Amino acid sequence: MKTSNYLACPECDLLLRGGSPVVGEKEHCPRCHCLLHRPRANSITRTLALSLTGLFLLFPANLLPIVGIKVLGNSNDGTLLSGAVTLFNEGMWGVAILVFLSSILFPLLSIVLSLLISGHLYFNHKNHRLSLWLRTLQHIEEWAMLEVYLLGIIVACVKLSSMAELKFGLGLAAFILLLLVSVTLASNFDSTLFWQRIEQLNTDENK
Amino acid sequence: MKINKTALRQGLCRCHDCGKLARISTKCILCTRCGSQLHTRLPHSFQRTLALLLSGVALYIPANLFPIMTVTQLGVGEPHTIFGGIVALIHSDMLPIAMLVLVASILVPLLKLLGLSLLLLCVHYRWQVNAKRWTQMYRIISFVGRWSMLDIFMISILVSLVNLGGVAQIIAGSAATAFGAVVVLTMFAAKSFDPRLIWDVQND
Repeated sequence: MKTSNYLACPECDLLLRGGSPVVGEKEHCPRCHCLLHRPRANSITRTLALSLTGLFLLFPANLLPIVGIKVLGNSNDGTLLSGAVTLFNEGMWGVAILVFLSSILFPLLSIVLSLLISGHLYFNHKNHRLSLWLRTLQHIEEWAMLEVYLLGIIVACVKLSSMAELKFGLGLAAFILLLLVSVTLASNFDSTLFWQRIEQLNTDENK
Repeated sequence: MKINKTALRQGLCRCHDCGKLARISTKCILCTRCGSQLHTRLPHSFQRTLALLLSGVALYIPANLFPIMTVTQLGVGEPHTIFGGIVALIHSDMLPIAMLVLVASILVPLLKLLGLSLLLLCVHYRWQVNAKRWTQMYRIISFVGRWSMLDIFMISILVSLVNLGGVAQIIAGSAATAFGAVVVLTMFAAKSFDPRLIWDVQND
């Protein structure tokens, strides 16, 4: 029995003969209905293109003001970073670090890691760090919460609308684009394929 | 396609990170494909989840009792708890947004704490349950956890924007730290729970 012909369900440990679903099909575990594999068309090329786009969008989304307010002649603009900085200055460093990690550092890291991995696989470059990068990416993905942040912006604006005049900056547009790119990136990312390609590259190296 | 046996019974274990199957042996402890440590089940899954869950329960209390932010307008300060913020939204006729905050900051953490406790009880007392349903519950718990961060992000935006000295100022309160800790702890708890334990305790 060759182990490579089999796979185990990550959620119920059922041993299965690995099917080979084509693009558009989904492979589910017959026992617990866990999604096992969902192949995407041109996953590596799309990941490369989308992570490059994301990398460019990171700059305006992080540097330009997202929302500004005006109360009785006083105005103030907020960027993605200013929330974490204000919290830190107020002594709420725990919350500040949490906000910084989940809205700035982890989205940035996941785009950079996607770019590195897909770039290496696209150009068939060998690198012994590939598996470390992909493992890190899989672990931090859950902590990048741009979509939750957008919801936070919406609720904050609704709360402020009664007491202040709001103006939306170019940063908000860049932020929404960045969010769309990261969601598309995640949905086009075929980790099964990526692991197979990394294994292929590594075995070529050993020969 | 179906063999109807678990990998564990066949002497195989699945790598947590890359999914590659390997034979269980005393020597090979690192995955040959990705180099991560191999375990048949997540190590100390029950104890870790229990510890993180109990810390989450303990912090859930200050998170709801203490003010999450203080709104100062023209010199008059008014502390808000999580629940108070929702009531304020209802009073200003923003029912849909109030519902959203209610779900994300009160119901989701509460249901997560309850759900994880049920999962742990199920594993510990070897409850014979519809394991498919319970695995679904686990999936929902791990999916919704991140949405509780809504309140934390909202506060971070409010404190940075409403920072106009005497005119209007919003300062984060101590409950924000507690609430952030609850979200992080329950996310880690869900991550360290191994759903395969539910299937392991079923006699079939």
